[in-house]
Amino acid sequence: MPASVDQENDQSMMDAAPEQQYEQQEEDVLELEDKRVVVLPGATETAASFQFDGEGHTLGNALRYAIMKNPQVEFCGYTIPHPSETKMNLRIQTYDTTTAVEALEKGLDTLMDLCDVVTDKFTVARDGFNASKADRMES
Amino acid sequence: MSREAYQVPAGLGGNQNAFGGADSMGAGGAGSLDGPVVAYLCGECNSRVSLKRGDQIRCKECGHRVLYKERTKRMVQFEAR
Amino acid sequence: MAPLIASQEELQRRRIVDINPETVSNFASTDFPGHWPGESHEWNLEKFRDNFQVEFHRNDQFEASFSLIGLDASIANAFRRILMAEVPSIAIEFVFVHNNTSVIQDEVLAQRLGLIPLKGSVEGINWMRWFKKPTDDDPEGGSTPSDYNTIVLRLDVTCEKNPNADPKEDDPRKLYKNAHIYAKDITFHPVGRQEQFFVGDDAIQPVNPDILVAKLRPGQKIDMELHVIKGIGADHAKFSPVATATYRLLPHINIQRPIIGEDARKFVKCFPAGVIGLEQVTREEASQKGSGYEGHEGEMKAVVRDAFKDTVSRECLRHEEFQGKVKLGRVRDHFIFNVESVGQFDSDVLFLESVKVLKLKCARWKRGLVDLAR
Repeated sequence: MPASVDQENDQSMMDAAPEQQYEQQEEDVLELEDKRVVVLPGATETAASFQFDGEGHTLGNALRYAIMKNPQVEFCGYTIPHPSETKMNLRIQTYDTTTAVEALEKGLDTLMDLCDVVTDKFTVARDGFNASKADRMES
Repeated sequence: MSREAYQVPAGLGGNQNAFGGADSMGAGGAGSLDGPVVAYLCGECNSRVSLKRGDQIRCKECGHRVLYKERTKRMVQFEAR
Repeated sequence: MAPLIASQEELQRRRIVDINPETVSNFASTDFPGHWPGESHEWNLEKFRDNFQVEFHRNDQFEASFSLIGLDASIANAFRRILMAEVPSIAIEFVFVHNNTSVIQDEVLAQRLGLIPLKGSVEGINWMRWFKKPTDDDPEGGSTPSDYNTIVLRLDVTCEKNPNADPKEDDPRKLYKNAHIYAKDITFHPVGRQEQFFVGDDAIQPVNPDILVAKLRPGQKIDMELHVIKGIGADHAKFSPVATATYRLLPHINIQRPIIGEDARKFVKCFPAGVIGLEQVTREEASQKGSGYEGHEGEMKAVVRDAFKDTVSRECLRHEEFQGKVKLGRVRDHFIFNVESVGQFDSDVLFLESVKVLKLKCARWKRGLVDLAR
């Protein structure tokens, strides 16, 4: 697990629960459920197709890029088999040094690390810009 | 009053049509039949007009012949989509 | 064997997407392991951190413009798509009509109300949770409206004659009271913990108070309760927190052979103002053999001033005299983002939010992967 993922404290708007949860019922737990990846039939250790329910090009293409950046991956591609079904299929074929599932996990880690760098650099650049703008206003 | 419950008043023959009904009945039709009273709004002066079956379709204030049904009092739910 | 490192010229060539008179070429990314023999291109977080840059051009509440440099298109596009479709915001979803005697139909009015952008305490909106709708499979499965998933607004207006109006007045807004119903006529009724979050300026209110919602005449009434919930743009565009979220690649203009004199002046006119400038040919340039400037000392030559402002119209490629002298392109990894907020959040916050959403998506899928791996 990369340092960037702090599972205790990392919560999104969708996952974050209000501090006082006392009167909340079972039904609201639903949104905390983790999504389950489905491995399509015909998979081997080093070559597998995964189906992501509820995903599209947004994650598909970004994840494909991240996985292709791994030199142990021979091939990675994604497809949306039908435009009216919100399903995304991701194909990974690796060399013998790793497995498809490991490559997928590593790809997700890569993306998360990348997001942290983007957030950090963006915040620094924004604060710098705002400060310099404030300076210009004063002088 | 449901559509099924409506019956052509007796003695007026088969040449009746929906628009001619009120005219041909004239004064003789009024009061001869009982039925639920329905409130309408005048299309001209917006006053309330209560009519029952067989009444002349006419506003009692201004004589206008276009009357509107009142909106339902029930709450209606919509999705803002 | 140490990995090969490509020459600077080669790297620059790979960085530019070529824009030709009728076509675009060299557009696919090639920075993957195995694409260039001997070169590495493996994912390297440190290298990414060193290369990645953010430059701000403007940062206002309703519009932000910034460059992300050193990113792949797939990542930039993910951020753009998330901004439009997956960053949550609030909008009116359920409309309970108690009375509506206006000429505008209930369902039309409900649809109009849904599209009104609302704002309120950001903290409060983040605290809010999803309202789950009942589905066909599970008609009892919907959530019950509570303070943490539903905000209640009301629109209760009656139009009346204005007794003080000038008899010759013909403006209905002066002749009648409440002839025009605006977004500002919607009132907020906090319940439970909403009273702590949405106070004063942080109360739930329309971003633009002057949106015309309906028109009334004396005697007409609208009385409805509006339930606001949190949603995402993928479900309905009214939940999209951005008016626009776009990026373009930084244009690149390469003047390969000198453009001098009258041609230079014509060349300037092929571009938007400020993109190409004119400079005098110096003595040194004129004395340099094979530079193309020989004997042109003191004449005007075209130089690239600010490619950022270019629209890449390709106008210069249509003229005979510039054939082979100029090459147009775009920088593959320089994304100029433009984010216009609808008003609920600041534009820069929205981008940060989109990065957060992408990361969370990954974290969620990764957690779902655990039982698969072992």
